[in-house]
Amino acid sequence: MVKVIEHKLSREVKAWLKREAAEQKERYKLIVEEQEALAPKRDKWVAEFLERIQTKGFNVHADMRRKIPASEIPKQPRRKFKVVF
Amino acid sequence: MARPHIEPFVDRDVPFKKFTLPGFAKGMHYKMLSLDTDNGACSMTVMFENGFSQPPGMSYTDMELFIMSGYLESDDKRYDAGTYFWVPPGVSLPALRAPRGCVALMFYNYAEPSFVESDEDHQLAEREHLTIINAYESMAWTGTSFFPATATGCLVKVLRFDQRTQAFTFLYCMTPNFSQDNISYHDCIEEAYHIWGTSWMMQFGNLPTGGYFYRPPYINHGAFACKLGTLALGRTDSQLYNHFHFNPWTTPEENRERAASRILSWKPELYRWIEQHGHNHPHVPHDFEYPDEGDPHAIAHASGVPHDHGDGHDHHQHEDKPKRRKKKVSRKK
Repeated sequence: MVKVIEHKLSREVKAWLKREAAEQKERYKLIVEEQEALAPKRDKWVAEFLERIQTKGFNVHADMRRKIPASEIPKQPRRKFKVVF
Repeated sequence: MARPHIEPFVDRDVPFKKFTLPGFAKGMHYKMLSLDTDNGACSMTVMFENGFSQPPGMSYTDMELFIMSGYLESDDKRYDAGTYFWVPPGVSLPALRAPRGCVALMFYNYAEPSFVESDEDHQLAEREHLTIINAYESMAWTGTSFFPATATGCLVKVLRFDQRTQAFTFLYCMTPNFSQDNISYHDCIEEAYHIWGTSWMMQFGNLPTGGYFYRPPYINHGAFACKLGTLALGRTDSQLYNHFHFNPWTTPEENRERAASRILSWKPELYRWIEQHGHNHPHVPHDFEYPDEGDPHAIAHASGVPHDHGDGHDHHQHEDKPKRRKKKVSRKK
């Protein structure tokens, strides 16, 4: 199936793409900053999640749940916890 | 780089800009959601002004359009909120108007936005694939049919399904009090826009109305919750499989390796054929959930077991270290 019909890009389109790419770069930076600022809340949410999967259970499939024993709970690695890549 | 990981982004936080690319009619405004910087493909929220009117025309790449509010009309049809268009490259749409304004999502999939005035299809157009459907009026909600599935309360309407890649575009909703206690990632790109409502993910917090994400493969998301309900539009670029797990700290690289390892468990023959091209080298990717299931190849070496590569050699042994020539030392007497 044809994805793109061959065509030439005008100067205006190229300039527009350049501007939009630059703005997206800024938007991405802002997202990373906002998500880093959310880290303390996220740590709390993660702790609550790890508690819930031990008591209420982990959704294996649809509403089928399995209670995860403490021995299976993962430990946080030393590396930085990133959520935006 | 194609498109970066944009998550979360709320388009309500930014103003509309005038859309003035050559070829497009006046009266269009947009908010860029994400852009592929290699080829110009992009996702946008678009507002058509009251009285907007465009002549018949086509695009050089396929275009998806979903009407969120207001309506568009042609000479003989009216396209209300909930209408979804999938327009293949080169297929000419009739003249369209927005007498009372309209807000829509627009996706240009493989190249930058383009509009060429024409009341005829391009010679390469594949009109048989043109899809126009009102998802609010003509379709029923169904449970998700991928396994493992999302929890009860997440429903979908599939708007388009690509047989070749299994990419699909879908409306989804989460009912009030929806929750799902697992972390998911996919082998595909996933993109979504909240038409209405707020939902929560453990990594990113709340995503409200106007919230958007473009998420490359293998990135963790979830657990999930939604207090009052959410209506959203989602898209993937290939098959969506829910790789569920409960380790919040895994990286996309680890997730990808686990996904590969799982394919080996699910379809061992196919995996070996694809990965090893008939060369039966017993390498196994690492699954962080089953760390004890080691790499048989490494095990074979560590224990000095000769092994068959299936490539015509009866047995095979690697040398642990390359042989080095001993330096001749001249001893002086």
